[in-house]
Amino acid sequence: MSAREGPDVTAAEHLDRIVEAAQAAGADEAEVFGQRSVSRRIKVFGGDVEELDQAVRQGLGLRVLQAGAVGYAYTSDVTGPGVEELVCRALAHAAVTDPDEHALLATPGDGYPPVDVHDPRLDDLSIEQKIGLARDTERAALDHDPRVKLVEDTIYADADAGVALVSSLGVRGSYREDDCYLFLYVLAELDGAVETGIAYDVGRYPAGLDAGACGIEAATRACRLLGARACPSFKGTAVLEPYVAASVLNVLGSALTAEAVQKGRSLFARLEGTPVAAPIVTLLDDGTHPQGLASAPFDDEGTACRRTPLISAGVLQGFLYDVRTAHKAGRTSTGNGLRGSYQALPSVRPTNLVLEGPATPAAQIVAGIEHGVLVTDAVGVHSGANPVSGEFSVGISGILIENGRLTQPLREVTLSSDILSMLKGVVALGDDARWVPSGSVLVPSVAIEGMSIGGT
Amino acid sequence: MSGQDGRERPAADVAGTGAEWHGGIDAGALHSALGRALTRGGDFAEIYVEERDTLGMRREDRQVDQVTGGRESGVGVRLCDGERTYYAHSDELSEAGLFRAADTVAAACGRGAPGSVVDLGGVRSEPGRHPVAVPPEGVAIERKRALLEAGDEAARAAGGEVVQVTVSYGEGRQRILIVNSEGDAVRDDRTRVRLMTNVVAHRGDVIQTGYESLGGSIGFELLDESAAERVARAAAQKALAMLAASPAPAGSMPVVLANGFGGVLFHEACGHGLEADAIVKGASIYAGKLGEMVAAPIVDAYDDGSLPNGWGSAAFDDEGVTTARTKVIDGGRLCGYLYDRRHAGRLGASPSGNGRRQSFRHVPIPRMTTTYIDSGDATPDEIIAATPRGFYARSLAGGQVEPASGAFVFGVSEGYLIEGGRITRPLRGATLIGSGIDILNRIDMIAADMDIKSGMCGKDGQAVPVGTGQPTLRIAEMTIGGTA
Repeated sequence: MSAREGPDVTAAEHLDRIVEAAQAAGADEAEVFGQRSVSRRIKVFGGDVEELDQAVRQGLGLRVLQAGAVGYAYTSDVTGPGVEELVCRALAHAAVTDPDEHALLATPGDGYPPVDVHDPRLDDLSIEQKIGLARDTERAALDHDPRVKLVEDTIYADADAGVALVSSLGVRGSYREDDCYLFLYVLAELDGAVETGIAYDVGRYPAGLDAGACGIEAATRACRLLGARACPSFKGTAVLEPYVAASVLNVLGSALTAEAVQKGRSLFARLEGTPVAAPIVTLLDDGTHPQGLASAPFDDEGTACRRTPLISAGVLQGFLYDVRTAHKAGRTSTGNGLRGSYQALPSVRPTNLVLEGPATPAAQIVAGIEHGVLVTDAVGVHSGANPVSGEFSVGISGILIENGRLTQPLREVTLSSDILSMLKGVVALGDDARWVPSGSVLVPSVAIEGMSIGGT
Repeated sequence: MSGQDGRERPAADVAGTGAEWHGGIDAGALHSALGRALTRGGDFAEIYVEERDTLGMRREDRQVDQVTGGRESGVGVRLCDGERTYYAHSDELSEAGLFRAADTVAAACGRGAPGSVVDLGGVRSEPGRHPVAVPPEGVAIERKRALLEAGDEAARAAGGEVVQVTVSYGEGRQRILIVNSEGDAVRDDRTRVRLMTNVVAHRGDVIQTGYESLGGSIGFELLDESAAERVARAAAQKALAMLAASPAPAGSMPVVLANGFGGVLFHEACGHGLEADAIVKGASIYAGKLGEMVAAPIVDAYDDGSLPNGWGSAAFDDEGVTTARTKVIDGGRLCGYLYDRRHAGRLGASPSGNGRRQSFRHVPIPRMTTTYIDSGDATPDEIIAATPRGFYARSLAGGQVEPASGAFVFGVSEGYLIEGGRITRPLRGATLIGSGIDILNRIDMIAADMDIKSGMCGKDGQAVPVGTGQPTLRIAEMTIGGTA
């Protein structure tokens, strides 16, 4: 489904007229964000299509400044009456919002970096071929091991999206972005006990995805946990696989925003310039990484995207800013003013988080551990890792490490510590860095000493 | 609260008069779009037309800093062909957009003889099911702002250690029209309001947070300044109580789950496993267990999408099926699953009114509405007094579960030690760990103090409003992950 009638909201000329209309209606300044996407989502089950979803989506978000206060409104109706209503609501919202000296729009900078996230090869494969990719993924998992009971979900999805931004301060830009992914959720069974495993493959064009490898990975992840049981509690080294490390980094990422710091919600407040992690840890926010799903020439309020060091060789370098939090702190925006969709105001969020450091072969890391656990899944990271207090306690699945060897699969076990002790306890980084798409994180396996493993 | 400042809505909908909201698309176009969807095969076609207006307001740092809102509208066309579902949606709410979506699903199917469309009957609607006395869109925005201020002040007045207060107000009106090739036509007009408060308290090196909310499928009559103050005080008291908390010990002990928020545990650890999509795929521990004991004999449990004015309620589900109260556990015995149309068909059951979707952008799937364990006859005090040593979970932070195994982990945002039948000291950093059926079987005391809380539930990338509830109850033994 591609054709549609009406104006293209990712055309700057169309947005210019909305900015003019908002100012004519009384806005001091105005900024319009236009978003459009054409997307597909294919779900396969038992070798057949279970669901095929095709979508066209577009909408506008209008931010106005009026007597020092912000007002925001959105609409999916981009015709004349829809836009009139949009302007009217944004101004009405500004009228009941308190003035804020830091509420500002981005000023035009020195141009945007040449970040190219558009890939015309997204449409190289037909719908039938994309269905085939999902089928191949499911088949690979089922064929890999007889203990794979079923693949509950196999999904192929892609999107061709466009974004445009225009403001009365002269910000003006647009870009297109393409991405696609495969995902599956595998159930393996042994003696009536079920274990699960997931895998993703992410790219900009479908022919670049590896269905076989993705299916096998999820099957392997589920099967290696079969026979899992609890273990006695102990203190030791935990090796977080990339999927698990990524979910911890997402918690760190939100604690490293200026928004969290300024609102007293970050354990990193006042630690700038001090060692917060082991010297082998370097963490960046990179909004320009060619492979990053969150890469773009500019953020969702018009600031150029860039690389921002957060932790270098263990020392906290700084925080992530949007225009508002930067003004409040007397800094400049780092290009991290992002919105979930045209329905939301920008807020400070990481783009692509990248964990770097000296790499050790993953097998060598395990071989060097006397008593520990390879953590393959964690549940409850969102609620169990507290970015304010630093408390960390999550449920995990994994495999016990004894004398350098992987031994007993584990379940109903908890892993706990506190976030700063964990960062300082990083003893090795693997050579297996990969992109994990929940958030957008490039991360290897991470070995952390001094973790409490809670069992029976 | 009086209804004086509420702008009156037109008189209750009368089916078929043509005067009600129809998203600008007439009945003839809907009928022909169903036909176009079925031109190249398929056995069921459905159109979902939606318009949604929202307003959200936030006060933080003593300032009303965000007021946002707008309108989203569009249409989704679903075509079912045996086990296959084709879906197309567009936010172009017009006949042209509707026909394009219908042609898209027809082209995607493209492998059979044209299906037939039953003539659409009168449009059913039941405006009296969840009455709205004061439509929130008619209430002056300054009055909503006053709620935020009242909540902020009440939370700060609760104690000098309160350092941050966030009060949020949200309202939404969702109008939908659902028609399908079997001749059903349903209109629903849903209004929801909700007030939430988050409090941060600080003492020395310790920072704690507290949260409380109040919401319903109801008008602005739910909320006034005193309601805002109650919600704010409850949130503040949680944060303040936990300032003195010591790290929770890890281990196994009896757990008393308080009423209200404790229901999240049943929702996650059991409810998701009762949703018929997991049953059909054999991906739930409750599959094949209808009629079997899955809980202690004192446990009755329900899902109720018809609960009057409930946050998770509606007159119809998002497939046009009338919502209902469904008993899922009867005296410990599993007696029902939660169905949408498609999975009910697969399992030879009737749809239970649990086919829900986030918006026109989503395919309906089986979802909970308001799920709860029913009241017993003990009192909360009796339960605590009967527990020599245990853990009292007053408020849960949220958690995760794997429906396939029923294994879950929950963070406890407000927890206490029980010693000698008395609640003694607050504990922080505790998590509750276990699996659904194990825990249900270990429930050994249930009180009569039922309470239901409002929340949002995510599944398959779709968020829908749900209610979760329970009375105070005790689980004879449960694993606690702690940091002590």
